[in-house]
Amino acid sequence: MARDLAIDLGTANTLVYMKGRGIVLNEPSVIALNKQTGEVLATGREAWQMIGRTPGYIVAVRPLRGGAITDFEITERMIRLLLQRVGVSRFTRPKVVICVPSAITEVERRAVTDAARRAGAADAQLLEQPMAAAIGADLPINEPVGNMVIDIGGGTTETAVISLGGIGALEAVRAGSFDIDAAIQSYVRREHGIAIGERTAEEVKMAIGSAEPGPDENQAEVRGRDLMTGLPKTVILTPEEVRFAVDDVVSSIVSSVVRCLAKAPPELAQDFLNRGVYLVGGGGLLRGLASRLERETQVPVKMSNTPLEAVVNGAGHCIEHYDLLKGMFMGARR
Amino acid sequence: MLFGILVVSVLVVAALVVLGLGRRPRQDEGIETFRRHIDALSPEARQAVTARNRRRAEGPR
Repeated sequence: MARDLAIDLGTANTLVYMKGRGIVLNEPSVIALNKQTGEVLATGREAWQMIGRTPGYIVAVRPLRGGAITDFEITERMIRLLLQRVGVSRFTRPKVVICVPSAITEVERRAVTDAARRAGAADAQLLEQPMAAAIGADLPINEPVGNMVIDIGGGTTETAVISLGGIGALEAVRAGSFDIDAAIQSYVRREHGIAIGERTAEEVKMAIGSAEPGPDENQAEVRGRDLMTGLPKTVILTPEEVRFAVDDVVSSIVSSVVRCLAKAPPELAQDFLNRGVYLVGGGGLLRGLASRLERETQVPVKMSNTPLEAVVNGAGHCIEHYDLLKGMFMGARR
Repeated sequence: MLFGILVVSVLVVAALVVLGLGRRPRQDEGIETFRRHIDALSPEARQAVTARNRRRAEGPR
């Protein structure tokens, strides 16, 4: 008998929670393929290490962008391999709950459930990421009080106000930590004339990236390819430069949070002043982002204890109490 | 004969009425369902997942 699964199918990472066991898989959402034969060569961490470093015949891709499936066939193969790795076979078909951005279209929704069913799931249900994040962040969403959760993922940022087990206000924007990396790549190309890969841009973000000035800021040495000469070149990037580079993306994230606050029912909105709002997702780890959000929204912003795992833990809770919570799944309410 | 048909008809109608009453949703069904749903989201209900994660975080990597 297969154990039921909860999957956080993120743009950056895929996490799998197994009923009764907890998180059993946490890997980058990347797949490496042989371009000529279409054969899968690697998935997860191994494939991630290949990004930007592959010979001509290999392609390492992220099949999800902005939380949506960009390549249905590759996503299906990735999900199939993930399920195989956690013990799913054609004889053991589990129920699967998959977390997806709330803003995905009907077509995208169908694509995810079809991909999971074809990959071996007996039944595939979808759960909105902010709802899963709020459950996983241990917020008291069963009470009649306003709980606000900001989930900053790789490709999307979703802000939701939740009370009594339901979403009261929601705002989503297709901007996340990959857009921050892309903004750094584009800045370095434009201002320093060198091309850097997405992994280097991510390293720069993690080393000196920030949304607001902070203490102990250092410069970073960045290596790339000179666009004029084609030769390897090193440049020095300052934290101010990186802040300037990422400001448009950060501003759009902050604006979406402000819009969600404005949409919240007044009785719930006043709760945020006392209880604060919670930040989850890898994008929330950008230095100074919580303080910038706090400054611009005038409400306390707190970081969840498990920002990277909150979504899958929330979905995991739903799989543990499947029958009681099946009313929360996306198809059940529409 | 007529009496027999009458008795059977009465019995059938009575049975249908009893079945119909049984099927009618109880007034408090919605309250109970909502209560169960909300209870399943309470911190107490979430303890199992939280404890499992704590053990995983504390355990050897």
